[in-house]
Amino acid sequence: MNTMRISAPSRRKAVRSAWLAGIAFLLALPVATSAELGGDFTSVLADQAHMKATLKTTEAEAYTVHEIQAPSGTAVREYVSPAGKVFAVAWRGPFLPDLHQILGASFTTFTQNVQAQRMQRSGRGPVVVKQDALVVKSLGHARNYFGKAYLPELMPQGVKDEDIR
Amino acid sequence: MRTHKARVFLSTFLFGALLLVAGCGGSSPVATPPQTITNTGSNVQPISVNPGPTGTYPDGAFTSVTLCAPGSTTNCQVINDVLVDTGSFGLRVVGSALGSLSLNQETVNGNPLAECFSFLDGTFNWGPVQVADVKISGELASSVPVQVLDDAFSVIPSATCTGTPNDTTATLGANGVLGVGPLQYDCDSGCTSATPAVDQYYQCTTTAPASCVVSSAALNLQVQNPVSLFATDNNGVIIELPAVTNPQATVNGSMVFGIGTQSNNGLGSATVLPMDPNNLTFSTSFQNTTMAASFIDSGSNGLFFDTNSSSLPECSDVDYYCPTSPANLSGVNSGTTGSASVHFSVISADLLFSSGDAVLPGLSAPSDGSFTSFDWGLPFFFGRNVYTSIAGKTAPGGDTPYWAYPPN
Repeated sequence: MNTMRISAPSRRKAVRSAWLAGIAFLLALPVATSAELGGDFTSVLADQAHMKATLKTTEAEAYTVHEIQAPSGTAVREYVSPAGKVFAVAWRGPFLPDLHQILGASFTTFTQNVQAQRMQRSGRGPVVVKQDALVVKSLGHARNYFGKAYLPELMPQGVKDEDIR
Repeated sequence: MRTHKARVFLSTFLFGALLLVAGCGGSSPVATPPQTITNTGSNVQPISVNPGPTGTYPDGAFTSVTLCAPGSTTNCQVINDVLVDTGSFGLRVVGSALGSLSLNQETVNGNPLAECFSFLDGTFNWGPVQVADVKISGELASSVPVQVLDDAFSVIPSATCTGTPNDTTATLGANGVLGVGPLQYDCDSGCTSATPAVDQYYQCTTTAPASCVVSSAALNLQVQNPVSLFATDNNGVIIELPAVTNPQATVNGSMVFGIGTQSNNGLGSATVLPMDPNNLTFSTSFQNTTMAASFIDSGSNGLFFDTNSSSLPECSDVDYYCPTSPANLSGVNSGTTGSASVHFSVISADLLFSSGDAVLPGLSAPSDGSFTSFDWGLPFFFGRNVYTSIAGKTAPGGDTPYWAYPPN
């Protein structure tokens, strides 16, 4: 249970960084070709484009949330730190989002962990991957999926597991 | 070897002791008629919870299905060890399990139709959509689009069909998955537009250079729940498994087709709980929390839920619950109308897994509070006849889709 409750130590990066410098400006930037957890804010826009989706932005105290609503009905929320990094993603809806797209470089770690679990024990249930550097929880069934993934080392100070939803 | 035997003995002993303790405490379930498991009838299919073809599948219910070339009664193949899944819709079969049986390929614009069906664990099922007659018990579903799992079919479109292919008996832990959940079509309107909202169906070429592009798939071409295509007894299923208190190698039960269509499939004392027709959810109240996105799923091999109880510590080595003694818990499931109580036990996963058995009562794992969901997986089905009706069909007791069970 301890690993689920992340108490983030102070992070120089977060302190050093400025707040997001104007969504409008960033929207005008060219869209990055790869999007990901751990990527820059521009990757949110790549996800939006990939999912043929609309984007809504909400600012919280320690981070900004970009909610991408896909035509499939599934919403993906991407959490961007003051340093401009996507440190968490959460999804909910009738169809799975492209997990490879939204987990980015962490997707391989996720699937390798799942394979290791399945090697030990076959199964088709929900999955949880908990490592120091990556947490992924993916649950649900057809028409009803939800999950979250985050990089504990990139979490702004004070942000907890339960804040990602 | 000796150590293993000693461990098995120890865990068996501990089980007895723990269950004895559990029996003395906790709240007793409300009076409910004893469970009757139907064994005979043309609409009754034997199912079995067992280790499956890999020998390592905990809490999976398996059955067999017979596939035939459409219209043929001789060109057929029996497929054993197919997982019974009320959490998906349609039949997916490992290609190699078909043997020499060849089925009719579904096409769009003259091109073979294939499917990439993503699963929440980062894996996907890939393979062509082919048409088969599906026979289960005495029931026949004619010309059913099924997915034949085959990594070698055309070329997997890696830009949108991402993750780890899960198309062999070894990786799937089964020879196929029989999705008998509350819907007929596996994608519905998400895949029917010219530019579909969901990248799931593909038109492929199979001659060099083979390739696949995202395709729309009309409803009649989509992979479909075979039950909904039976001539009769097509409005739902009942999963009937006996109560289990200790780990066992195997238990046998029945899958009964139809609800209120025969003398052996009436609702009896079951309470009907209509689901949200869009996401097939209902509400579970548990420990002063209401989880509005809860669901019933025989394909989840455990109960998955969040808890605020210190009596349910997580195991140290696996992401399951490991209470020091069996925890007797209760909650209430509520549909859009109606509600039904539920009593259930959580048993230490370390203890369960150490038995080496496949039938593991009370196997439970943490979920996440933000999901507001209780996943009632296979352990819920032990000792209860669980009904799931199919959307769009008429069934006694209320509007479909609903699920039902005798409150206890």
